[in-house]
Amino acid sequence: MFKAKLKEAVICLGAGRVTLPYPFEPSEVPPKFRGKIEFDSRKCIGCGGCANVCPPRCIVIEDMGEVARITFHLDRCIQCARCYEVCPENAIWPTEQFETATPDKSDLKSEMIIWMSSCQRCGRCFETDNAIDRFQSKRWRGRGPGRANKHGIFPTKPPIDFTTRKSLVRESEDKA
Amino acid sequence: MAKQQEFLSDLWEHFPDILEDFQEHVKNQFMATIPREELPSVVKYAVNRLGARFVISVGTDRREKTGDYTISYVLAFDEDKKFLVLQSHLPPNDLTIGSVTPDVPAANWSEREARDLVGIVPVGHPDPRRLILPDDFPNNIHPLRREYEYNERFPSEPENAYSWKTAPDGMTVVPLGPFYPTLEEPACFRLYLDGEKVVGSDYRGFYNHRAVEKLGDSELNYNQIPFVAQQICGICGQVHSVAYCQAVEDACGIKVPMRAKYIRSILLELERLHSHLLWVGLAGHIIGFDTVLMQLWRIREPVMWLMERVTGNRKHYSSNLIGGVRFDITPESADDIRMVLDKVEEEFKAVYDAVVIDTTLMARLKGVGILTTEDAKAHGVVGPTARGSNVAIDCRVDHPYAAYAELDVQKQVQDGCDNWARTVVRLLEIFESIRLVRKALNDMPGGEIMAKIDHPLPAERIGLCSVEAARGECHHYVLTGEENRPYRWRVRAPTYQNLQAVACMIQGEQLADVPISIGSYDPCFSCTERVEAVDVNTNQLRIYTKDELDEMCRRKTWK
Amino acid sequence: MIGELCKKMFGKSLWLFHTNCGACNGCDIEVIDVLTPYYDVERFGMRLVGSPRHADALVVSGSVTRQVAPALKRLYNATPDPKVVIAVGSCAVGGNIWFDTYNVLGGADKVIPVNVYIPGCPPRPEAIIYGAALALGIVPKKVAPRREQHLPPGFNLDEYLKEWQGEPVVTRS
Repeated sequence: MFKAKLKEAVICLGAGRVTLPYPFEPSEVPPKFRGKIEFDSRKCIGCGGCANVCPPRCIVIEDMGEVARITFHLDRCIQCARCYEVCPENAIWPTEQFETATPDKSDLKSEMIIWMSSCQRCGRCFETDNAIDRFQSKRWRGRGPGRANKHGIFPTKPPIDFTTRKSLVRESEDKA
Repeated sequence: MAKQQEFLSDLWEHFPDILEDFQEHVKNQFMATIPREELPSVVKYAVNRLGARFVISVGTDRREKTGDYTISYVLAFDEDKKFLVLQSHLPPNDLTIGSVTPDVPAANWSEREARDLVGIVPVGHPDPRRLILPDDFPNNIHPLRREYEYNERFPSEPENAYSWKTAPDGMTVVPLGPFYPTLEEPACFRLYLDGEKVVGSDYRGFYNHRAVEKLGDSELNYNQIPFVAQQICGICGQVHSVAYCQAVEDACGIKVPMRAKYIRSILLELERLHSHLLWVGLAGHIIGFDTVLMQLWRIREPVMWLMERVTGNRKHYSSNLIGGVRFDITPESADDIRMVLDKVEEEFKAVYDAVVIDTTLMARLKGVGILTTEDAKAHGVVGPTARGSNVAIDCRVDHPYAAYAELDVQKQVQDGCDNWARTVVRLLEIFESIRLVRKALNDMPGGEIMAKIDHPLPAERIGLCSVEAARGECHHYVLTGEENRPYRWRVRAPTYQNLQAVACMIQGEQLADVPISIGSYDPCFSCTERVEAVDVNTNQLRIYTKDELDEMCRRKTWK
Repeated sequence: MIGELCKKMFGKSLWLFHTNCGACNGCDIEVIDVLTPYYDVERFGMRLVGSPRHADALVVSGSVTRQVAPALKRLYNATPDPKVVIAVGSCAVGGNIWFDTYNVLGGADKVIPVNVYIPGCPPRPEAIIYGAALALGIVPKKVAPRREQHLPPGFNLDEYLKEWQGEPVVTRS
């Protein structure tokens, strides 16, 4: 028994002091680390692929005719980086930021409002190799409360009527 | 009728002319449809005479498709390496099935859960109390039925309070809480004591029922469910996500590339490694060796950093999707893994050498917490808990998944049946895991890591998958559906099965030995925060906080 | 600078009572991990206590289920003032993937007022130490909401929204 205790003592003393200097020095994260999610509204095309695959349904898209408001509820983000994986434009990505503690939960809710120009159709741009991801799920972009669209990326009827939209691109060209 | 299998020939001889349908939906997985009057006797015969092991029962609301309900009992024939699903159809106006629990104690909680969530009543069940749903949930609402949405806010009916088992005569019971002695909520464990000896126990848990199965069949799609599955448990995340993915892949006939299977196996073994290191530390803490806790968690920490470098997160690796894995293990990552394993093995070897000759430790663990082989088999116990009681089952060998058919896994079995045997099984498994990761890294082939899925997944297919977690067999049952999501997804964690056997293990124990005995099962420790103890002689109810129990446990060590 | 920081931390030691309200144990293990030798918050005077009556801070993990909500409320009342409530992990902050299922309320702040939110799944031990330091008021916070717009030049959003008569078409919420 004494031999066992001696061995255990040697293990403890042999280890020495191992405490990391955080928080007095910053802590490095490895390259693949998935931290807080950031987005770039200039690159986003509003396809909604991120909203389609996000497991906690953090990303919510509201289509209002020519503009779309995309809200990110980062309080329940699980940092899986699926949004980053499917985005065709690299407009959303996980950063190294892990010091996200805050006293105010509204700090974790971000949004962007982007203009949907007339050549875009909802869902058409969201192309992946994977048939499961292409399928849009329940309540996706107003396609009814219970049943997903069986036709995947080529809907028989778009949810928003584009015929009444003004084409700002054409107007600005005429003026030029 | 499909060709009948040899391992079942005895069964069909004993029960002729009852098969309505028989198919092999996936290799080594069979489904037999039989009338519901015969189902209980067939299950009892298979478990008690043919040596099958009860895994789980699944109740499904099929009214949308066929107008009725189904109840399926999944049995594992471990020596023959096959699964058998026995299914019966139940009419909606008479949702009852004869209970198998009196003869197959392993089915106890499964039948209660089917009653809570789907409404299938087990007639003759010895303990028909509520199991999963909270105390104030309305009696006649069964959430897994298809007419309920996953996010409905059901009303609160506080009069449906949980009732404990009958206490000895003349007892007045004061309900005490899981957080602190004077709060009014049912506690997790309730023990009946005679002096310091345990004469009976009761358990109320499931306060973290998060409705995962309902989410899986109504709101999420196939590729979102691996992420829900991994959040079910913080230490077995990879296990749940591989089990689900493989169940769906087998059901739909998707060929996962070999490299992806190897990557899944490597991550699974690394998860087992850190889980066992965590457990050894925790066991030391419970008995009173806090240095063991600190040192083992110090040895374990480099494994967590390694996982962060390889996968991006310390615990929830988020690595699996249907068809393969999301990221590769590069040669640099492989070298990184090897270096960390070398360091961990060297440091752990020193701890192992100290622990196995430590007579104080052995005195505390040997002969305590006996779970006989018969009890282990009767309750369908899995994992190191079973292997410590001489029941040689291990899903990596019996029902190979991922790349385990190629890796030669050695089952670690002990016959002590006590806490010490279970400890030794886990210590040896740490070395085995390190060996397996090294072998997998060397043998891993090149190639793709994700299968191409060009078409929607077919509906009405069944897939089963058992994965050996650190705690035992984790089983997933998937029935695929339309709408890009499963029709029914059933999860059974290993602790679910093991906890049912706690009662017979702690019978006759001293109170001070109860924490380490329960700890030797390696349950998720949120289940064992508080223990209620009732002294049957004085009729007094006393709550022991975790600290007090730990103190008692440690004092016994130093005696 | 370090000396000042140490003095501040030693002067305000926190005794923590940890409670699991329906979590997966990932965050619980990380909370216990901060006591282990590599992170060692005991050098700042923080330790886990066994009773809420002795605690200064309540550390909550887990998306609160219907079953534990009343117990959590009573636990909050049992902790003496002044107290700090720290919600650790995406489950306690926002409810995680199951935030709106029938058995989950969706985060600790649905039941008790929360002082500090530490998101992450699970948050790194360094993130938990940072959150505790934030609770003590020693470090500034580093997150802020972002509201961005990317609209063509001359496009007046408010006018457009006033003119537009339709209902917004919303994806999952």
